[in-house]
Amino acid sequence: MSELIQLEQISKHFGGIHALKKVSLQVHEGEILGLIGPNGAGKTTLFNILTGLYTPSSGNIEFKHCSMLGMKPHQVLKQGIARTFQNIRLFANMTALENVMVGRHARTRAGVIGAVLRNAATRTEEAAIGARAHELLEWVGIASHAHRLAKHLSYGDQRRLEIARALATDPQVLALDEPAAGMNPAERDILKQLIRRMRDQLGLTVLVIEHDVKLIMSLCERIAVLDFGELIAQGTPDEVRRDPRVIAAYLGGGAK
Amino acid sequence: MPRSKRQVWLTFIALGMMLALLPFAVDFGLGRSWLRIMDLALLYVMLALGLNIVVGYAGLLDLGYIAFYAVGAYCYALLASPQFGLHLPFWAVLPIGAAVAGLFGVLLGAPTLRLRGDYLAIVTLGFGEIIRIFLNNLNAPVNITNGPQGINQIDPVSLWGVSLGKTHQLFGITLSAPHQYYFLFLLLTLLVVFVSLRLQDSRIGRAWAAIREDEVAAEAMGINVRNIKLLAFAMGATFGGLAGGLFAGFQGFISPESFNLMESIMILCMIVLGGMGNIPGVILGALLLTVLPEALRYTGNLQRAWLGHVVIDPSDLRMLLFGMALILVMLFRPAGLLPSRQRKRELVAKGDVAVQEQASVYDAKR
Repeated sequence: MSELIQLEQISKHFGGIHALKKVSLQVHEGEILGLIGPNGAGKTTLFNILTGLYTPSSGNIEFKHCSMLGMKPHQVLKQGIARTFQNIRLFANMTALENVMVGRHARTRAGVIGAVLRNAATRTEEAAIGARAHELLEWVGIASHAHRLAKHLSYGDQRRLEIARALATDPQVLALDEPAAGMNPAERDILKQLIRRMRDQLGLTVLVIEHDVKLIMSLCERIAVLDFGELIAQGTPDEVRRDPRVIAAYLGGGAK
Repeated sequence: MPRSKRQVWLTFIALGMMLALLPFAVDFGLGRSWLRIMDLALLYVMLALGLNIVVGYAGLLDLGYIAFYAVGAYCYALLASPQFGLHLPFWAVLPIGAAVAGLFGVLLGAPTLRLRGDYLAIVTLGFGEIIRIFLNNLNAPVNITNGPQGINQIDPVSLWGVSLGKTHQLFGITLSAPHQYYFLFLLLTLLVVFVSLRLQDSRIGRAWAAIREDEVAAEAMGINVRNIKLLAFAMGATFGGLAGGLFAGFQGFISPESFNLMESIMILCMIVLGGMGNIPGVILGALLLTVLPEALRYTGNLQRAWLGHVVIDPSDLRMLLFGMALILVMLFRPAGLLPSRQRKRELVAKGDVAVQEQASVYDAKR
């Protein structure tokens, strides 16, 4: 498996708080990589750096061996890294279908003149956007809600809609920030299947932040563990499970 | 509501006939001054639709919108009046005015890209005032705008050698200047409506809506927020500049006084009252807020008829009633008179408790 993303010595501090300390991590093509750690360990900060929302204080990120430092979020997305958010950030007052259609923005071109003249090229493009959006809603299993407002969907459906919207951007890497939060066991199972299918059928590389250790252990091939901004372990689920530093981080320092 | 194509066409034809006959009816029934008010109302419709792109579509609160109207008007005035002795043709001046206004839109947009909501409103308010104060003071050391005196004797709009400032006979029908301006303004208003409608339902329109809903998510979904915001400012400003140029040609005289903060707020009121983001609503709001203050001038006659004498000065009562009307509309129809599909769902309570709860859970999560 080849390296797709390479994080080198990434640090990030906000004032005096060191959210990440020299984190180095490789993401291999086609793997499902889990990112776990206690609250405030820096998992979401790492995602935000990866997707261009934050610039790291020091260190380097390479995607397909090209540096991504200083790229804006929309440029990162265009390179092929899409994400979802921990606290769902859908376009609440747009329909599910429109949400996914927005995801096609970066891969389409029509401008003001095309919109006003609505020439053949624009019409074809719009039709393709609509068709692809429908297809993706179908794919994640919420096609029947296409014309409902995003905010009126159930919690699990909102999570799936966010995934469909991210998929609409034709990513190579999909970063999911706590996709199972607030889901019941049945919904978690569906989500697990969905993530597997994304990797197997669409050939995506998937990064998952998740608190549900059971889900992560059964889903991921590799797991990285963050604690207080440091990468304390990485490896297969079994390796990570046995790592004394991981056990200490999860059970508290007194368990040593 | 499914309607057949024929019905749609019939509706269009009826509407077209009505719009074509309206100026004659108004002129006959209410007099020439009301016809001029209608011309102005059409200009306000254009302005409101322009501001609707910035505020309604992209969700950027702009309190200095009148500045673009001023830029368009002054461009026209400087290029087609004795001020500099320039008399460029209408078809050159109007696009120049609109383009320069669009450029000013980008100039205003660029430094405010990081601002949202209240902060953006304050900066745009300042921008509007800066433009007005510049226009007021650019008469020394070099006289450009003629300062507070304004610019006089602006060329009337002239199309293919026909000046709209004079009365003409066409097929035995007498068309006065306000009649001719009405038809020109109507044509351009329809153009602005058309462009607004097309933009709303397009890739660009969706990007604007996405920014309005959640800027961070929009950026993470690949929207170049900077460019898309600037585009909204530029499009809105272009419409403002277009209306401004027409205003200068129509009035023949402009001064900085016509472009004060109150005007910006009026235009914002039009779109809020009518229904932000919804084109029929915005048009209705613009028409109502132009016509209503004028109509309320006639309360003096009413008072005399009912009470025998004038109790409250109509000019005082006018703004009072106007303010009351605004408050009542906002109380009973918070999403506007004709709200857009989205705003309606956003603001009007649903009977469905589950749906409502869902919405509140979602809002709390944000």
